[in-house]
This record gives sequence, structure tokens and C-alpha cells, in this order.
Amino acid sequence: MAKRTMPVPAVRYERDANGGELLYRLRFRYCEKGRLAMLSHLEVAHYLERVVRRAELPFAITNGFSPHMRISFGGALPVGVGGTCEIFDLLLYRDVSPEEALGAVRAASVPDLLPYACERIDRRAKAASVAYPKSTYEVVFDRPVASLAVPEAVEVVRKKKTRVLAPADFLIEPPAFAGDTMTLKLVSKDTGSLRPDVLVRAMTAGTDVKVASITRTALAE
Amino acid sequence: MPQPTTDLWPRLRDLLPLAERPVRYLNHEFGSVYRTPEDDPADTSFVMVYPDTYELGQANQAIRILVNCVNAQPGMYAERAYLPAAEFADQMREAGLPLFSLESCAPLREFDAIGITLPHELAATNVLEVLDLAGLALRAEDRAEADPIVLGGGPCAFNPEPYSAFFDAICIGEGEEAMPEMVACIGAGRAAGKTRQEILEDLADIPGTYVPGFYRVLPDEEAAAWGYRVKPVNGHALPEIQKRVFEGFAQSPAWEPCIVPFADLVHDRLSVEILRGCTRGCRFCQAGMMYRPVRERSADNIVEGALDGLKQTGYDEVSLTSLSTTDHSQIKEILERMNAAVAGKGIQVSIPSQRLDSFGVDMSALVAGEKRGGLTFAPEAGTQRLRDVINKNVTEEDVFSSITAAFREGWRRCKLYFMIGLPTETDDDIRGIASLVTRVYEAAREVTPPDQRGRVRVSVSLSLFVPKAGTPFQWDGQIAPEEALRRVNLLRHSIKFRAIDVNWHDPATSFVEAVMSRGGRECCDVIEGAFKRGARMDAWTEHFRPEAWRAAAEEAGVDAEALAQRTFDLAEVLPWQHISSGVHLSYLRLEHKRAFKEQTTPDCSFGTCTGCGLCPDYGIDVETQEVRVG
Ligand code: SF4
Repeated sequence: MAKRTMPVPAVRYERDANGGELLYRLRFRYCEKGRLAMLSHLEVAHYLERVVRRAELPFAITNGFSPHMRISFGGALPVGVGGTCEIFDLLLYRDVSPEEALGAVRAASVPDLLPYACERIDRRAKAASVAYPKSTYEVVFDRPVASLAVPEAVEVVRKKKTRVLAPADFLIEPPAFAGDTMTLKLVSKDTGSLRPDVLVRAMTAGTDVKVASITRTALAE
Repeated sequence: MPQPTTDLWPRLRDLLPLAERPVRYLNHEFGSVYRTPEDDPADTSFVMVYPDTYELGQANQAIRILVNCVNAQPGMYAERAYLPAAEFADQMREAGLPLFSLESCAPLREFDAIGITLPHELAATNVLEVLDLAGLALRAEDRAEADPIVLGGGPCAFNPEPYSAFFDAICIGEGEEAMPEMVACIGAGRAAGKTRQEILEDLADIPGTYVPGFYRVLPDEEAAAWGYRVKPVNGHALPEIQKRVFEGFAQSPAWEPCIVPFADLVHDRLSVEILRGCTRGCRFCQAGMMYRPVRERSADNIVEGALDGLKQTGYDEVSLTSLSTTDHSQIKEILERMNAAVAGKGIQVSIPSQRLDSFGVDMSALVAGEKRGGLTFAPEAGTQRLRDVINKNVTEEDVFSSITAAFREGWRRCKLYFMIGLPTETDDDIRGIASLVTRVYEAAREVTPPDQRGRVRVSVSLSLFVPKAGTPFQWDGQIAPEEALRRVNLLRHSIKFRAIDVNWHDPATSFVEAVMSRGGRECCDVIEGAFKRGARMDAWTEHFRPEAWRAAAEEAGVDAEALAQRTFDLAEVLPWQHISSGVHLSYLRLEHKRAFKEQTTPDCSFGTCTGCGLCPDYGIDVETQEVRVG
């Protein structure tokens, strides 16, 4: 049987003293706003990969049958929730300054999904998806709201299975209200997380308050 | 008419939480072209519609090409629109939200012109869904002076009669040049304060444009004497409409700007059209007659265009598309150069179709890397006799050499396409399919290392023959759906191996395709009747409503069975005879006769002209880059 291999990669990885691949890790911050908050996590991930390709950054790829870009994403935003401090990490096989990399990805982006910061981080630092378990959300309503009760339990349906979650387990502090805005601080756990939109829906159920937008505005360790 | 000014986004946004996949309606994709304040507000506005959902239409070449062509011309611009999913369409109706364009979220009825492509026969009711959701009268004759001019085109325009009542004008053939001409004509007419009638007359003067309202249907005897089923009643209308050919295709840049969607779509990749036309001459194939002659872009153009496109879009896959990609005279060079250029970037090059010989397999192997998904082949018929009838110039030896080459190369799965109900088919031909795939399976196992033989799979995909307008088989009837199922069962019972699976399409949908393909103007009532009974999205199994179609045909007094199943006399005047693909009717008749004599006709792009009549009429020629061999 004729044996074929993938074409020889054009990329020659630099090696460290132990013969390991020398790769450079960059962390980008981007916003996801306006109507593009309606995109799913997968759609955003897909988009960002293409941004990196369009930016022609020297990204590393995995070995194996179907090589793909070594990019990783921060915690998922639910459909309909925007973000001003979302992150993704990228491994490069050649060192590129964060300023240069940022300029290139910005030129390859659409305005509502735009990277705005970039820094070098340690290759062994925690993965983007688990680096920041604490999220702050700003919930804007269609009118001023003085307070809303937090229910003791919320039912969530995932993959056709119903689970009951206790918001108290996820709330870092009680929700704060100011004018038409509520601030929610939620922590995600190894066992799962409580989606902000699900919590807000439970809190506004039975009232005629409507949600104008939900945005993740801060991430913390 | 002033350009669209209404922005429906705030209303659409409020509805989106109800949508199953909001991403379909968001726009703002990378590569979208927007109006800017510097643009002339007097520019003619055009919206190009794909009559199905975003997922299906996004990658459609017609939409991409025509939007680009119109945007490239001064004095006009184009936006895109797609049909919402059925459930969301109902929600829009309930909320009073009309169909909108993506880029500016403007109501369709505010545009100067609307283009709707007719990609396949099952999109008929979707055309009405587009018009209805847009808030326009379904029939052209009922539209008001200021309403947009509704233009049609695409593959089904080669028999436009079933759609004739719904379109103001229909473009026959390739639209690269014709569509901007039509938009310019509408813009100029409106700027000059012309009436709708006058604008339609101007449109009728553009070559390749059919204005159905300018014709009357003739009774049988009159038609026989006149030679066409319809006769002009307006001095601007021609008795016969010749399709348009984009003569600059081969020289035009292979990189055509495209939108990069957010949505995770099935065929989401860069596609580069490397050649147009296929003259292998399969007698059932409409595309083979419609896109003549063969025109190849050069290897330099293709490779540069594909690399440029990859860079500009960020796609990780590029598909080199055409009706017969492996027939390109420079395909080997193209694939080798592409492979070398994308090495190490995690980019996949793919070719959609390969010819049935070992060369086709070699080309597939060249781009497959270590990935060995499935290969597809289309022998179409199970016996040599029937393959000769349909002019599939493929021998059993070709089939076996390609299959064994593929399995030697490491493939473990292949899919074989066959048509059932082809003219002259007998049960022997059906058993011939069973015998062929059984032997293919055995041959595939034979060349597969023993430890991997358990993974060998052959799947058989059956479709029902649909007589298509403008082909040598346009006269031949389709078999009844029940008979089709009997033949499917005969085939299934003739196959003994579990590793061979058989799939088939619902013959009831193929029946509707045949009616739409061969019907005349009387079918307009059928489409409208079916639509009013809830038929839409007929290409989606879960939406297909055969009973709505049946009731509509009955009400319209149309014998749908006869349209689909009757074999027409070669001398009969056909409902679409006034529409010419450039291939002479006498050639189609000759090909039909050769079919029944089991005589084959060679491919003119590999050898000499076989006399279809098109090239001399247009003063053009086959354009290959090098001599084709095979
Ligand atoms: S006229 Fe001759 S060369 Fe041209 S497409 Fe027809 S058969 Fe081929």
C-alpha cells in the first residue's frame, strides 16, 4: 500500500535546551457587544480562529490527523450575554510583540467583536477557561429597579436533564442595584456554573421588569 | 424610488429571543459590504435573495457573484436576504415584521429591485414565501407602480413557465453581466420617471431577459404552427430567448470576495470556481447543457486567487469547485502548487467531485493527506447498456480501477450514486446495480489488508430520475413513486452484505420536481395553491406536504401525473421551447435518439466538437488551458 504522509510542515519550531518546542503564549482581551452578543460560544471561537488566520500570526498547530490552531478560550458567555473583558490565548512559534499582534488581529476583526489588549503570559499559566472563575455582570433593565428577590432554587435544563441549583452557592455577594442596573457577581465551580441569564430570568419572573442587556464586565481569579 | 430608509433591527432584535438560531439574522459578518454616508443616495438599490435559510444560502455562488457584480458597478449597490426558518417566519408574520435585507435590515419592498435565485425545483413555494413575507403581491400583474421589480434567474429559469406569474422579469443564463445591466436599466427608468410597463419593456430589450407578462399562451394548434407555446404580445419581446454566457469567465479573477459567516455551517469554506461547464454529456444532466461551453481559469489565476482568498477570509479549507474539477487540464499542477503553499498551516484543500478513473483517485489522494474520509463516485447506472443510454462514458473497468485504487490508497468507505427510473431501465438494470456494488465491495475488501477489512463500507445513494427541461431526456416520463419504491426494494433485496447500505430520496419530492421541471404556465396556479395550503420549505423532509400539492393540482385542474410521467412526443411543442440554453433542439433530439440506440457521444472538451450548435451561434469556443487528456 502506498504510504502517504502530510506534506512536510513549512514551520520549523525553535527548541529549548531540553529539545521541547519553544512556543510563545499571548493572551488577548476582546469585547463582544451589540447584536453579536447573540452569538454562541462556538460561533465566537470559530470567528476568533479566523481572525488569527487573517492576521497572519505565526500560530502553532497541533500534530496529528487533523491539525488545528493552538488557541484556547475563556469561560463561555451564554447566547444573548455580551462581554467587555473576554479572553483567548494563542500559542505562537515565533515571538511577536503584543503590540504588533494586537494591531494585526484588530485589522482582521469586525467592530462588535474587537480585541483591545494583548499581553505575554507564561506558557504554564492556568488555561484561559479556568483562569478567572469569578465574573461580574451588569444587568440593565428597561426601568429603574430598587431590588429583586433571589430565589432559593432555580431549575435549569441541560441536555434534556433538569437540575436544581441554589443561587446562593454561586453568588459571591448579594446583587447590588443602582438605577436601572443590577450588578451580579457569580463564581463558577468545578461541578458547574449558574448562567447569569437564567438567574436573571428567575429573579424577574412574575414581575413586568424587562431585561435590556446583560454584559460581563469583569473577570477575577 | 428613494433608497430603503427603514431600519427594522430594533423590531427584529426584540423577536430574536424566539429564534432557534439568531445567528441567521444578525449580519455584521466579516466581508459584508455596507453603505456609507459618502455613498450617493441616488444609487439604485438591489437585494439578492436566496429562497431558503441562511445556512443553505450563505455559501451559494449565485448570491455571492451577483452581489459582488452589482456592488462593483457605479450607481448601484446590492444587499443579501434569506428566508427565515419556517417557525420564525410565522413569528415575524405575527409581529408584523416584513422580510428584511441583512446588511441594512431594511424591508425588501423598499428596494428598487429584488433578485430571487431559483436553485432547484423544490424552491417554488419558497419564492412565494419570500414575496408574501416581503409584503408584495404574489403575482407580477398585481404589483403597484412603486413596488420593487422582481427578477428571477438560476438553474430553474431554463423552464421559467411555472414561475412566470410571480416574476416581472427573468434572466436566462449567466448573470455576471446581465444582472448589473438589469439593475442599471431599472435605476435609469425610475430616475427618468418611467412607468413600470416602460421599465419592463426596457428590460425585455436586454439580451437574455424574459418578461413573461409580454407573452400569451397559445392553444395547441396555434402553438404547433408557431413553433412555441407562447407568443409575444409586446413589440419588445422576442419569440425565443437565448441564454447569456459570461465570456470573460476564464480571464476573470478566481478570487471573488465572500462573506465569512459566524454561523457554524456544513460547507463553510472558501470555494474557488476553477472552471465552468461540463460537456461529458450525461443525457439527464441539466447543468451539463446549461453551462456550455467549458471554460477553464488558468492554474496561475486559480492558485493565486485561492491563496489570496485564504488570506483574506481566514478559512482553513479551500474547495476547488466546478461541475467536474478533475477534468481541469492543469488540475495536477494546481493541486501540487496548492499543497506546497499551504503546508504546515493546517489548511485543507478539497475537490468536490472526481471522475471515475484512477486519475480521479490520484487527485483525491493528492489533497487528502492522511485523512481518508469517504470517497464518492457516480456510476449512475448499474449496467453498461444503461450507462451507454445515459451517455455516462464510464466502463465497469473504470469503476473497478478507481475503487480498487482508492482502497489501496487507504480509503475504507465509499459512496456510490445511482439514478433509478432512467429511460429504458428494466429490472435487470436494477439487479445490475446490486451486482455492481456487491462486486465493488468484494474488490475493495480484496485490496484491503485483512486486519482492516471489517472497516470496509460501501453505501449506495439512490435518486429518482427527474426529466429536466433542456436535456436530451426532457421528453421522457418519470416512473410513478410506487414503482420507484418497488425498484428500490428490488435492489435492497438483491444486496446480501450488511456492510453495503442503501439510501434513497423520497420519490414524492422527486415527483414534484418533475412537475415543476416540465410544467407550463398552468403550474403557477398549482404553486400558489400549494403555498396557500401551507406548502413551503419543500426540500426539507419535515416540511414537505405532498397533500397540499395534490389538492392544489386538483383545484387548478392540472394533471400532475401526466406532466411528470407522460413521455412527450419528440415533435411536440414543449412549454419551455422559447427558452434556449444555446444547445440546439435538433441536437437534443439527436442525443435522445442516440440514447435509445445505446450510442454514446464523446466530450467535446477532450476532443472535437460534437455539434451542439452553441459555440458557432455565440462566436465562442471551448477554453481549456492545455489539451485535456483522459
Ligand atoms: S458547439 Fe461543439 S464545442 Fe461548443 S459546446 Fe457544443 S459540442 Fe462543445
